[in-house]
Amino acid sequence: MGLSLQGLGVLAQYPGYKLWNQTDVFKKSFAQASDATSSIQADFLQEKSLTMLSEKINSTGRFMYRKKDQVRLEYLQPYPYLVILNAGKLYLKDGQKENKISAGSNPIFKQINRIMIDCVSGTMLDNPDFESRIFENEGTWLIEFKPRAKNLKDLYKNINLVLDKKDFTASSISMYEVSGDKTIIRFQNKQLNAQIPDSAFNIP
Amino acid sequence: MPRYPIRLLISLSALACLFSCNTYRNLQKIQAPDNCVQKFKPLFEKVMYKTSADVKGNHISGVLIIKAMEDSSTRIVFTNEMGFPYFDFGFLTNNGFKVYQITPKLNNKYVIRTLKKDFELILFRNRDSIRYFALTDGPRIYHAYPQASGINYYITDSCCRQLLIMQRASDKKPVVEARFVGNISENAPDSIIIRHLNFNFTISLKKISGFAAQ
Repeated sequence: MGLSLQGLGVLAQYPGYKLWNQTDVFKKSFAQASDATSSIQADFLQEKSLTMLSEKINSTGRFMYRKKDQVRLEYLQPYPYLVILNAGKLYLKDGQKENKISAGSNPIFKQINRIMIDCVSGTMLDNPDFESRIFENEGTWLIEFKPRAKNLKDLYKNINLVLDKKDFTASSISMYEVSGDKTIIRFQNKQLNAQIPDSAFNIP
Repeated sequence: MPRYPIRLLISLSALACLFSCNTYRNLQKIQAPDNCVQKFKPLFEKVMYKTSADVKGNHISGVLIIKAMEDSSTRIVFTNEMGFPYFDFGFLTNNGFKVYQITPKLNNKYVIRTLKKDFELILFRNRDSIRYFALTDGPRIYHAYPQASGINYYITDSCCRQLLIMQRASDKKPVVEARFVGNISENAPDSIIIRHLNFNFTISLKKISGFAAQ
């Protein structure tokens, strides 16, 4: 009875998805796909929904990832803004203003950015800050991450990652806040293993 | 230097300050209608600003939304570019105020109070017409609205054709200056600058067009 109720809850939460219990099988396939992926480039659409205000903030830009821990998020709309993560360092550029965030200066912001790397590099399931459940439908995997760490738990109910079944690359990352607001980043026009110059990840 | 001249210098400085540090001391009290200020009040029905705040060398940026709600309150929500929330404030009717959400890094009584007062100044809140008074230096009128502590000034030209600057002041001198820059479109100014004069803190807002039409 308990199991069937839980099953119903899951179906209601993620229509079309079924719970997948073979975590080890999934992890192995994910690891194999990640091994074969040295870089990802994609366009992204980000939608921040402010529930109480019934408003959305839409942003677009270009995403780049290179193994092992380099990410570049270049926002183009509604205004240019650059985020680079490289070897644990975070660089932000807002117009002429540059901000380098060192370890420990803003742990929660750093954690959020770490999540992004984990999501694309396949290491999220090993992150002790989250407990995870895996769901599947015909074409995608949905991995639900619930924060364990208090600072993340105060902010996020869960973070969901949707992966394409064919290559295990992220189709979307959805961050559901405790407040009811959410941010969804959708990736399009993905290009795998293309050469990305070092300069894309340089932190000046 | 002998001790005596230092004491003399300090005394002279204190004396000079007594006469000059009060910015509003030499202004003349005048009779002026309190409806002058109302016409400069932006409606802020629904507006999105690219926002940056520089505090003592630290720079944060993101998107700030000001929205007039159906219950007559005004919400101000600030998130960073990646959607990470900084704060969500509600400016309620009857001068009420509610913190719906604030990131732990900003969750400090002094920070919240400072931001609340800064936004109250640009939202034209807490303007009690009974306590209102006006001062002038000739070309400008200082429309004064006493607050629980300090006074909010809306400074216009003498004919009340233009809002020149807004000030949040202690009893003697301005502590915050705010300006609307550029045109008023979509019922909100194109840019807003809020600058603290007693410590290094500036908030700059630049409107992102088209949001109100969404």
